[in-house]
Amino acid sequence: MNQDPIVLNQAAILKTRARALAQEPKKAAQAGTFLEIIEFCLASETYGIEAVFVREIHPLKDLTPLPGVPAFVLGITNVRGKILSVVDLKKFVNLPDKGLGELNKMIIIRNSRMEFGILADAVLGARSVSLDTIEPLPATVTGIGADYVKGVTGEHVIILDAQGILDDERIIVNEVVA
Amino acid sequence: MENRNDEFLKRLRATFRIEAEEHVRAISAGLIELEKTSGPERRAQIVETIFRETHSLKGAARSVSLNDIESICQPMESMFAAVKRQEIDLTRPMYDLFHQAADVITQLVAETGEESAPAFRSRSRDLARQLKEMSEGNAEVEMPRSTALRNPEFATHPSLPYPASPLSKERGPAAGESEPKHSLEELNPLPLIKQDLPKPGFLAETVRIPTAKLDPLLLQAEEMITVKTAATQRAKELQEINAEVASWKTESVGGRGTGVGGQGAEWNEFLAWNEGRLNAIQSRISAVARAAEQDRRVADRLVDEHLESMKSVLMLPVGSLVEVLPKLARDLARSQGKEVELTVQGTEIEIDKRILEELKDPLIHLVRNCVDHGIAKPEERKGEGKQSCGSIKITFTAKENRRMEILVSDDGSGVAVDKVRAAASKLGLLPSDAAKQLSPRDALQLIFRSGVSTSPIITDISGRGLGLAIVREKVEKLNGVVSVESAIDTGTTFRLVVPMTLATFRGVIVRAGECEFVVPAINIERVLRVRQDDIKTVENRETIRLDGSLLPLARLRDTLELPASKTRTGASGSPGPAESTHMPVIVLFSSEKRFAFLVDEVLQEQEVLVKGIGTQLKRVRNIAGATILGTGKVVPVLNVADLMKSAVLTAAGSRKETAAGQAPAGAGRILVAEDSITSRALLKNILETAGFRVTTAVDGADALAQVRSGEFDLVVSDVDMPRMNGFELTVKIRADKKLGEMPVVLVTALESREDRERGIDAGANAYIVKSSFDQSNLLEVVRRFL
Repeated sequence: MNQDPIVLNQAAILKTRARALAQEPKKAAQAGTFLEIIEFCLASETYGIEAVFVREIHPLKDLTPLPGVPAFVLGITNVRGKILSVVDLKKFVNLPDKGLGELNKMIIIRNSRMEFGILADAVLGARSVSLDTIEPLPATVTGIGADYVKGVTGEHVIILDAQGILDDERIIVNEVVA
Repeated sequence: MENRNDEFLKRLRATFRIEAEEHVRAISAGLIELEKTSGPERRAQIVETIFRETHSLKGAARSVSLNDIESICQPMESMFAAVKRQEIDLTRPMYDLFHQAADVITQLVAETGEESAPAFRSRSRDLARQLKEMSEGNAEVEMPRSTALRNPEFATHPSLPYPASPLSKERGPAAGESEPKHSLEELNPLPLIKQDLPKPGFLAETVRIPTAKLDPLLLQAEEMITVKTAATQRAKELQEINAEVASWKTESVGGRGTGVGGQGAEWNEFLAWNEGRLNAIQSRISAVARAAEQDRRVADRLVDEHLESMKSVLMLPVGSLVEVLPKLARDLARSQGKEVELTVQGTEIEIDKRILEELKDPLIHLVRNCVDHGIAKPEERKGEGKQSCGSIKITFTAKENRRMEILVSDDGSGVAVDKVRAAASKLGLLPSDAAKQLSPRDALQLIFRSGVSTSPIITDISGRGLGLAIVREKVEKLNGVVSVESAIDTGTTFRLVVPMTLATFRGVIVRAGECEFVVPAINIERVLRVRQDDIKTVENRETIRLDGSLLPLARLRDTLELPASKTRTGASGSPGPAESTHMPVIVLFSSEKRFAFLVDEVLQEQEVLVKGIGTQLKRVRNIAGATILGTGKVVPVLNVADLMKSAVLTAAGSRKETAAGQAPAGAGRILVAEDSITSRALLKNILETAGFRVTTAVDGADALAQVRSGEFDLVVSDVDMPRMNGFELTVKIRADKKLGEMPVVLVTALESREDRERGIDAGANAYIVKSSFDQSNLLEVVRRFL
């Protein structure tokens, strides 16, 4: 097919321009090396949780505490007619309590068999982090807190292991009166 | 007896109609496809299908004594068997005849149980005869399609075999794609005259819908209650605003009258202008409030009606549940050389399908129990002067408040209360002296506890003490109650009371401490007020006297382990229970016992829709679920059966605590070593509630480090932990010069005797198995060492 010479010329110009402007992509741009996360604050620290497991972010307005549940279960709340439990991850990592302020949010995470909200002081937004920048936790951190963390990024964002949290039997409350 | 059989046959025929409809449809679809298809493999498949469908239809027809249908199916079946064996090939006249047979069967099915028109009867007989001839005389028989077929009465009604119901379209592509009417007309040269059939047939009146599709529909209808309660709430709020504005108006007008006069004309003008605006707003608000009230009424009625009709769709007569039971009882009895007749009354009562399904197991267990334990062998019965054939009666009765009572009674030998007492104390459910103190009636209820059995031997049917425990669990899950009465040599009666509808019920909202809870009304015997002096302490437990009997009393706040309310008194104006002269009490009952609970306030009674509390909270003690009030507020629904057990436990534990005051400072410093966060939190909670000071460690190594560096009086440790397990920890503590005498309580999921011995070898002071692990047990053990 014959091309219009002007169009061809334009294409050539655009190509040279593109070449001149082109930059090496930051290393490792291949698919799958980035993690989409939702960033949020909890006490004084910044956390990230994989966005694929986040159903929605919901303001935490009314919270009904339940008697007889472990301390990490803050209570239950009404999300458009459905009742969901709210978990306070701070209790796992021994962070100080900031109290339930007006700004409190819950991040609803779920997979096929589990769904609950985790408490967040403020939600910062969504972004992607490169897997390469995530480093494992220092060995000094142990316990359940360590089990729920994938690692820490260069900017000190603690990346939570949403799949691990959702699959953990220990987070399920299943108590019978003997 | 005659009547009951007729009744049964009628019901059976109704079932048959639905089944037959499916068979006929499959046969017709198969015939049509068969005619079109030439591939031998597929043909063989279809022939097989038709053969099986015909066979099933024949069998079904025979079982409901519909001989006409049977006599049509019989020759059809044998012909298809011949086709299967490839002895004959199907010809067009044969297809015609088969299709006609399908039509005739359809109509026969529709007329089930009624007298057919004589002409139709002869037609169907003719058809049966023709089919028979054809099957016997083989394929060469020329279709005598004259006489009978010309009778207009039986001409294929075009709408009959494939009604234009949405379902038949949805069903398998075989029926849909093959245009049955068309091929029928084409194949059947008969004039289709008769339009006015005696009736349209049953097909148009019944639609089969999978329950999987109906269930969410009912749920959605139940969700509408939220709309109703919300509308009620809004109307109430508007009413309040209206009242507020009205009082403002009155006050402001009054203020003007007495008012600060002499402010000048401008001021008066301003006031008049304000008043005018106020008037306008008030009249608008009151109009809106009235409208909202009307809307509420409409919503109320619509939602109620909608829910009622939805429920009626899923309400089934209990008879469908018990149909299997007479046979079950008979077979069971036979296998044990006994004779039993089971009779059922009240089968026409309709209840929620979901409850019906849950009742199946309990009833089977109860009947088994009656046959196995209740009814004796014929010889023994004769010895007691009874008829040799034992009788089991099941009676369903509708009760007030949408409850149903089920009585399962036998005329057998009764339950020996002493055996129950012995079995219960042997299991360690309660000390034998306590068992002796129980009234016979209370002791009898122990048979619902897991593992309690009076049977000296375990059979494959019963004797393990599980059946009745399952009954109780299932019934309580339905918010029902179960109890038993028995008289030696006279018989045993089990009484079950269950709600007739499931998800919604009446609930009473109460306040305990800072929290509100819903108590299912079905478990409430009464609500009353008591004075402080009415509460008497008997054997260190609080009780009240009600109608002459002594009832244990617990404080709901303590039972639920809620923090003591701080300054509630001043803020709300309602005095706390300690100061007020009259305190509200709700008397609850469940299967085993009655219990009175002191609450801080009884707020209101209303309709409640229970919802799950999320997948993460699989089960929370004392909580059955939660509901959403009109205000959008979430309120937990209490699990009454749990509550009773908790009340006993806390009464055993914390009452003593309060008597002795808070644990003195310096005493009771406990280190809890447990790797599971949940168990750790649970242990910490239990011990702290009992007044101990608790420090936690995540595993044995952590615990050892802490115990060496800190000051503790006792260690409670899990056995199975990473890094250092409980046995190792115990050994290390025992080996330590300073810590050597420290009491160690091992708490474990390991149940084996070897492990228990290993724990003792390691030097542990106590070894509590988690499955038998309850608060009172742990606290009792811990207190023993402190």
